[in-house]
Amino acid sequence: MIKLALRGARANLGRLILTLISVVLGVAFVSGSFVLADSLRSIFDQVSEDAFAGVDAQVRGIDNDMNSTDGEIPRFDDEVIATIAELPEARYTEGGLFSFERAYTIDSNDEVVRPTGPPVFTGSWAGPSPVSSFRILDGEPPTGQQVVIDPVQAERGGFEVGQDITISLPTGEPEVFTLSGTIDFGDGGTGGAFFILFDLPTAQRVLGLPGQVDSVVVAAAEGVSPDELVTAISAVLPNNLEAVTGEVVIGEQKEDFGSFINIFGNVLLGFAIVVLFVSTFIINNTFATLVGQRTRMFGLMRSIGASSKQIMQMVFIEAGSIGLAASGLGLVGGLGVASALKQLFSSAGGEFPDGPLEIRTRTIIVVVIVGMGVTLASAILPALRASRVTPLEAFRSGGKTAQPLTVRIAAGSAVLLPGLILMAVGMFGNPGGTAATLACIGVGGALTFIGVSMLSAMFAGAVAGFIGQPVAKLRGVTGRIARGNASRNPQRTSSTVTALMIGLALISGVAVLTRSILDSFEEVLNESISADLWIFESNQGLEFSGLLVDQLAELQEVDNIAGFSPTAIRIDDEVLTATGFDSSTGTSVVNMGLVDGVAEIGREGIAVLDTVAEQRQLSIGDRVDIEFEDGYTTTLNVRGIFDDAALVGADWLIDRGLTAEHRITDGITFAGLTYAEGVDPAAGRAAVEASTSAFPQLSVQDNTEFQEEAEGQIAQLQIVITALLVLCLVVAFFGIVNTMVLAVLERTREIGLLRAVGMTRRQLQSSVRWEAAIISLFGALLGVLLGLLLGWAAVIAIPDSFVSKLGIPWGQLIVYVVVGGLLGVIAAWFPARRAARLDVLEAISTQ
Amino acid sequence: MVCATNEGRLQGVTTIETLTAAARIVNGTKTYGDGDAAVTALHEVNVEFGSARFTAIMGPSGSGKSTLMHCIAGLDRLTSGDAFIGDTLLADLKDKKLTELRRSEVGFIFQSFNLVPTLTAEENINLPLSLGGRNGDLEWIDTVIDTVGLRDRLSHRPSELSGGQQQRVAVARALASRPTIIFADEPTGNLDSNSGSEVLAFMRRAVDEFGQTIVMVTHDANAAAAADRVLFLNDGKIVHDMSEPTAERILDMMKSIGS
Repeated sequence: MIKLALRGARANLGRLILTLISVVLGVAFVSGSFVLADSLRSIFDQVSEDAFAGVDAQVRGIDNDMNSTDGEIPRFDDEVIATIAELPEARYTEGGLFSFERAYTIDSNDEVVRPTGPPVFTGSWAGPSPVSSFRILDGEPPTGQQVVIDPVQAERGGFEVGQDITISLPTGEPEVFTLSGTIDFGDGGTGGAFFILFDLPTAQRVLGLPGQVDSVVVAAAEGVSPDELVTAISAVLPNNLEAVTGEVVIGEQKEDFGSFINIFGNVLLGFAIVVLFVSTFIINNTFATLVGQRTRMFGLMRSIGASSKQIMQMVFIEAGSIGLAASGLGLVGGLGVASALKQLFSSAGGEFPDGPLEIRTRTIIVVVIVGMGVTLASAILPALRASRVTPLEAFRSGGKTAQPLTVRIAAGSAVLLPGLILMAVGMFGNPGGTAATLACIGVGGALTFIGVSMLSAMFAGAVAGFIGQPVAKLRGVTGRIARGNASRNPQRTSSTVTALMIGLALISGVAVLTRSILDSFEEVLNESISADLWIFESNQGLEFSGLLVDQLAELQEVDNIAGFSPTAIRIDDEVLTATGFDSSTGTSVVNMGLVDGVAEIGREGIAVLDTVAEQRQLSIGDRVDIEFEDGYTTTLNVRGIFDDAALVGADWLIDRGLTAEHRITDGITFAGLTYAEGVDPAAGRAAVEASTSAFPQLSVQDNTEFQEEAEGQIAQLQIVITALLVLCLVVAFFGIVNTMVLAVLERTREIGLLRAVGMTRRQLQSSVRWEAAIISLFGALLGVLLGLLLGWAAVIAIPDSFVSKLGIPWGQLIVYVVVGGLLGVIAAWFPARRAARLDVLEAISTQ
Repeated sequence: MVCATNEGRLQGVTTIETLTAAARIVNGTKTYGDGDAAVTALHEVNVEFGSARFTAIMGPSGSGKSTLMHCIAGLDRLTSGDAFIGDTLLADLKDKKLTELRRSEVGFIFQSFNLVPTLTAEENINLPLSLGGRNGDLEWIDTVIDTVGLRDRLSHRPSELSGGQQQRVAVARALASRPTIIFADEPTGNLDSNSGSEVLAFMRRAVDEFGQTIVMVTHDANAAAAADRVLFLNDGKIVHDMSEPTAERILDMMKSIGS
């Protein structure tokens, strides 16, 4: 039986190879995601272990669940260093201070030197020590007006050790430091991050944090265990600080890196699953057709004594061998995918540290299960159909018994409806947690696609006929034959284009959502902005020093200026996000749609979004107890209720004077300003730009530029997502090639007849290509239509503060339909040539 | 039925006997394979098919009768010798020209699977004309359709027609472009005797009334008896040329060849 099945596989080798490719693509993507994530995890684990190898204990601020929205950790008084150093259990004690994205090196062209993705750390380094996380590569540790940086930054800025370099500082006063050396984090590079390190007093001065540190690391004295050391230190610590062992720090560090890598790996895996899902339709289609073609052979086998179970086994063995081959190839392909992705991200500035690619046993098991599982699952229905072939069918010429229409409608609806319901629950309900939401949308989406695919067989013939009408009109009898062939087997037409449909549905869904985001954003800009000029960090919208607001407010060209600063707050034991803003000037730059009370809330007031106010039954004059990031608690009065959170970005507004005092940093994410009366916009802008030149990372833009920049960024994101989804189209492409080869083979005799009565090779080729074009156009139209629905549903599901209106990118959607049609034409190239090369006589005499 | 056709045939022979050949083969040899494995299917055959005549080709399996038809119809090429349709030497034509020649100068009726399943009866009849982008002689096509009695079936697909009706559509298609010559390969082989006689009658009428030239390969002595002339092939050679055939004489001849 196995032999027979393998022989069956061999006889259809070409077609099975095409099928194989589509499975391999999906499997390789899955294995690549695992391999890349695993390799990165090991590399970063090693980095963490190296970096904290000598640390027996670390002292830090107690985490109050309100990590700064800027990623900074709490600072504390550096006097505690001396206290700890006096302990007999401590052999060596060192304090450290770090900050994100506050200082930058400036190259000789006055350009800021920075990585594309990872952050820039500014902080302190005491030089080589038992507890140091850094290693000197070249030169000397920094003292006084000296600095050390990582070698990548040095290379990019063109800096040599010993040279003087300018560094922009959060104080707004750039300073010149001598580059005393280059350093490495742990033993494994810096993962693409940049470091700018001074000695501790200098770091405290340039960061504007005199006398403060954010961690103290300690090495234990001879014979003292890390636990004993922690106990000894804890006894002398004030109650806002805690001590932990180095092992705990390494664990946390690994977890931090790990959670980033997990997100990264899961996103890749998500795309891989979509590709795999799409390829199941191709596999299913191939097996269904192969089984259909071999009905007579199965009937013959049944009549000479094969049981229906054996027939089923035969199909499964065939599927299993493909699955196994695909898993093997996919695993190997995964290495390629992983290194290609690594290259891709490296060239985008990620600069992953070097390290071997790692195939864990888990990856092999998952890949084999996924590859085999997907192939076998796709073969279930065809295998069942094969097992139902009766011995009699050996003697009947292949009249296909199509499922009755009612059964198909019932089956399709039975899959589609739960799919739609699950999607709706995921999008509009609250099934509990992100994972549950994603699961609902994912499974619901998959069921929806399967259901639509099943139901589409009902109208595939009619629609393909309709799409083919102009072709039939324009291309004469060649077109009529193409149209007839495209609509003659609706079941196959619909399953052939399912992959294309899903791919284009996702791509156009993303396009619709993108357009909607942009349209909503434009509306926000038009309705809620009264500022003349915006200032923000140009790279990733990171925070920058709030001191700038005060400096700009003093310019005579500036009338009003307001800075906006996100902060974590706790209300009724719930950690929420609020925006701190300059309440006396805020409404002059942003219109947040005040519906009650005033916007000038002052230090004792708070403003709340109308829907939240309703939910929490708050009205003007009510009092709210609030805890800030530093643990400070106070009671604020509700002074304003507003209805437009789109620009302020939070449901709660607090005066920035208050938030700046009780946040870990005084950073703001953006500031808006208006010109004083009579100031020429060009002159006003020049004055502002002159004042911000000390912060080279900042962009100064008017509303039009702001909007264009946002559009560019969102469009770029769309391109990245679309590029990953294009893999679905590649799989779909092979599916179309597969079906067209099959169709040509099945119609050999008909082709012979056409050639005999006078169809030229060229006409035949064109007819096959038009057939594929019509089929693909059907799939593309269906896909784009579904994409519109998906995008629309997403727009409804996403909060109005982010997307408030539906935007339809007609141009893009039309392009997608055309691309779908072209894909069909290209896919039919080889099958069409093959058809044209058939020998007329042989073709006619084919049985 | 056979009697009626015989009468018609006699009239036909007397009126149109003198016209030139619609197709001919000169010293035609066809071998398949090389060296020791070479099989000669046609051996220096010389034959002419007179215009407006109905010729049947008979012979045992493997005698070369299908090869002869394929070579002269431009579906296959001779190994040596020349095949002509009208005055056109087929060996001179590349695939495209040959296809166009088949489209306009040659009609085909196959044993089965004669029609394109996705096209209606009418579209099938017009197929060779539409492939050439021509409309054809509408009046003529009307006449053909009426002759084969398919007026009420024009919009049907092949799957909605009986076997006999399908072959009648095939006959109509072969006639539609008024080709120089029509080749029929066992046109009645898959039909019951009634439908078979009907189809033969239409072919007979095409020769007698419209002056069409038809060459038919067949196994069936009764079918061959409807022709004006029967060629007998054996081992790649023409072994007998019979005029005014009857089913009995044909059967006798087949027996003598077979033994």
